[in-house]
Amino acid sequence: MIRGAAAFVLALLLAGPARAAEVSRFPASETARTTLTIRSVADADAMAPLIRDYQQLYPDVTVVYHEYVTTALFDEVAAACAAGPAGGYAGDLVISSSVDHLIKLANDGCARPHRSIETGRLPDWAAWRDEVFGFTTEPAVIAYRPDLVPREDLPHSRVELVDLLRRKPEAYAGRIGSYDITVSGIGYLFAVYDARAAATYGRLVEAFGRANLRVRCCTGELIADLEAGRIAIGYNLLGSYVYGAMRRGARLGLVVPRDYTLVLSRAALVPVTARAVGDAFAFLDYLLSERGQRVAREQAFFFDRTGPLPPGVDGPPSLSAAGIFRPITVGPVLLAVQDRAKRARFLAEWRQSIGPEAQKGSRRAEEP
Amino acid sequence: MIARTPSLFSRLVAVLAVVLAAGAGVLLVAAWASARLAADEAYDRLLVGAALQIAETIASDGREVSVDPPFSAFETLGLSPRDRIFYKVVDPADGLLTGDADLAVPVERARLAAGPLLLDWEHRGQAVRAVVAGRYVPDAARAGFAAVVVAQTREARRQLARTLTVKASLMVLAMSALALGAVAVAVRAALRPLGAIEGVLAARGPNDLSPLGLAAPREIHLLVGSIDHFMGRLAGHVAVMKRFIADAAHQIRTPLTALAAQLDLLSSETDEGRRREQLARVRERTAELGRLTNQLLNHAMVIHRARSVALSPVDVAGLARRTLIDAVQQAGDRVIDVGYEGADDPVTIPGDGIALREALANLIHNAFKHGAASRLTVRVGRERGRVLLAVEDDGPGIPASEWARVREPFQAATGGGTGSGLGLTIAAEVAAAHGGGLRFEAHAERGFCVILSLPDGEARP
Repeated sequence: MIRGAAAFVLALLLAGPARAAEVSRFPASETARTTLTIRSVADADAMAPLIRDYQQLYPDVTVVYHEYVTTALFDEVAAACAAGPAGGYAGDLVISSSVDHLIKLANDGCARPHRSIETGRLPDWAAWRDEVFGFTTEPAVIAYRPDLVPREDLPHSRVELVDLLRRKPEAYAGRIGSYDITVSGIGYLFAVYDARAAATYGRLVEAFGRANLRVRCCTGELIADLEAGRIAIGYNLLGSYVYGAMRRGARLGLVVPRDYTLVLSRAALVPVTARAVGDAFAFLDYLLSERGQRVAREQAFFFDRTGPLPPGVDGPPSLSAAGIFRPITVGPVLLAVQDRAKRARFLAEWRQSIGPEAQKGSRRAEEP
Repeated sequence: MIARTPSLFSRLVAVLAVVLAAGAGVLLVAAWASARLAADEAYDRLLVGAALQIAETIASDGREVSVDPPFSAFETLGLSPRDRIFYKVVDPADGLLTGDADLAVPVERARLAAGPLLLDWEHRGQAVRAVVAGRYVPDAARAGFAAVVVAQTREARRQLARTLTVKASLMVLAMSALALGAVAVAVRAALRPLGAIEGVLAARGPNDLSPLGLAAPREIHLLVGSIDHFMGRLAGHVAVMKRFIADAAHQIRTPLTALAAQLDLLSSETDEGRRREQLARVRERTAELGRLTNQLLNHAMVIHRARSVALSPVDVAGLARRTLIDAVQQAGDRVIDVGYEGADDPVTIPGDGIALREALANLIHNAFKHGAASRLTVRVGRERGRVLLAVEDDGPGIPASEWARVREPFQAATGGGTGSGLGLTIAAEVAAAHGGGLRFEAHAERGFCVILSLPDGEARP
């Protein structure tokens, strides 16, 4: 009997640069009844424990996992939705860290509603219309190299970070990294919420501009830069990926800011064009169930809403600590993030502050 | 067996329940309509607020018009938690600045100066509520109104309207149920006096015909009065009946005693001549007794028929002639001028032919027996809407002082000799059963006249 652990990975590139997608197959351990196709913006490594545990419960389901970049996934689901259930197909379950994309899709009527005991337990901010469900809790964190950042320099808040850059401009010039928000959906989302959350945003971006911020497309590259010592501090990185790298042995430190904590809830929806609808909702219910949440906390995304921070993380006692918890709500407010006039204006201001000399990494649009 | 119709209680309650249900229905429709209005009003404010917040951010640097839809606008719209949001912002030249290009809500710039316009629209197959708000851009390449269009699906409005309607409905239904309960209690209380009457009647002994003596509400006072009146009449009738039976027994006993005595005498009589004489007397007594019995039976029959026989057209003229012809032989060997005066044509009234014939026969018999010295006339005529049957003779008649008394049974006129004394009673009973009356007239030249005055059916409307 083939165990879920025996999943093999097909790393194949589909035709077309925007459609680049890696496909992983998790065959059913028993005779396959159905195939569940997940199209997702989330590391297959992170999702694999969840998929395998799900197959313990449903051993007759083969899961095919397509890993996408955000815009490609959005375009594909929107196109399938426009083509209608007869012609279009964009997988049975869509998972994305760019929650604003999913909200836009749901607002355009591309998602199927679902209600269950599991969805009923979600807090209001983590679900919309019974169509988009946030199933993870991932804080935006400050990641650093402990050997490159002295203990007294370590910033625990944005003000301290601005302060550090003012005090020791030469030490950190070119050693600070963050997302290129013009390409990274998650970077843009965090930046917009930073700007909303506090007045420090302007000073922060200004300080970044002076410190010659190195911008990257995605979390993976930022973590790689940190590990390689090309940068000393990464700002607004996805805590779950950083902690995953630490668990794999990377020499990194992780600070959850104490002034306020942006928390992203990676979300899922089932498109109207889905075929294995029942299995998609079953998988969704699994992700939201206590068992799924436990596996996610222990093996995939490491953080949760109410529990203590994982060991070795510097920060407040828990993410939902009073006053500093700033969830990116899964709701129609994200339509404002999607607004193109707003985006154009915001990106123009950011470019102006960061400057054209911002050191960009590869422009490959790889998302976290 | 009394036919059973639906109970008063259920009839009253059913009628009131129908009225209450109709009222509740009207109230529910009204509640739904006002709930819809209230829901629209509440969410329209949010919609307008959001549109104005977006409009607020429309700015121009002289060349280009720009807009920066604020988060707060979407947070305001997000207060209706499930509704989908569609919006667009267009510059004065109708160029799309941001939002959904396919949102086709019309922008009437001429009306935008007066304030935001609300309208119902359909977008992507969904009913939406839309608002168009304008902002005047004076320093654009082409000055004019930039417009913000915000549309929202109606889920929250429907939900609120439904919630409000359900709440109002619960109140209406509770009030209706309460009213119906009160009605049931009130009707039961109102009908209680009827139960009291029933109780009093049921508890009563079979011979107790005294008035009920109950206090009764105005509505059934008449009923209690009628029952009391009926009881009174019944008591009167029973008393009359008792006296009649006592009198009849007495009347029968007297000739029977006499007959027994005659028979005693007859059995001990040896003389043939006196024996024949006594035998004749026995025969006479027997005939008298037979007549008495006949009259008692007739009386009973007349009373029975008066209660049970429906009136049908009767030709009283023909009836009078036939009765007179049948009675002529009663004159015996006396010379009496028997005559009939009246129309030869039928005189038809609603009546009971057998009873009328009996009444007339009795009157003729009385006239032959007690009056008529040489003349007996039966007259049929009309007088002021009534038909009169008169029996007139030239005998001594009845003194006017006894006219009232002789109508009672067994009260034959004094000095009348033999006779049961039921003839006039029967005639009076028959007249009464026809709605008419019996009266006497005495004329010096014409003699004594007994008149049956009966209502004329033809004269009635």
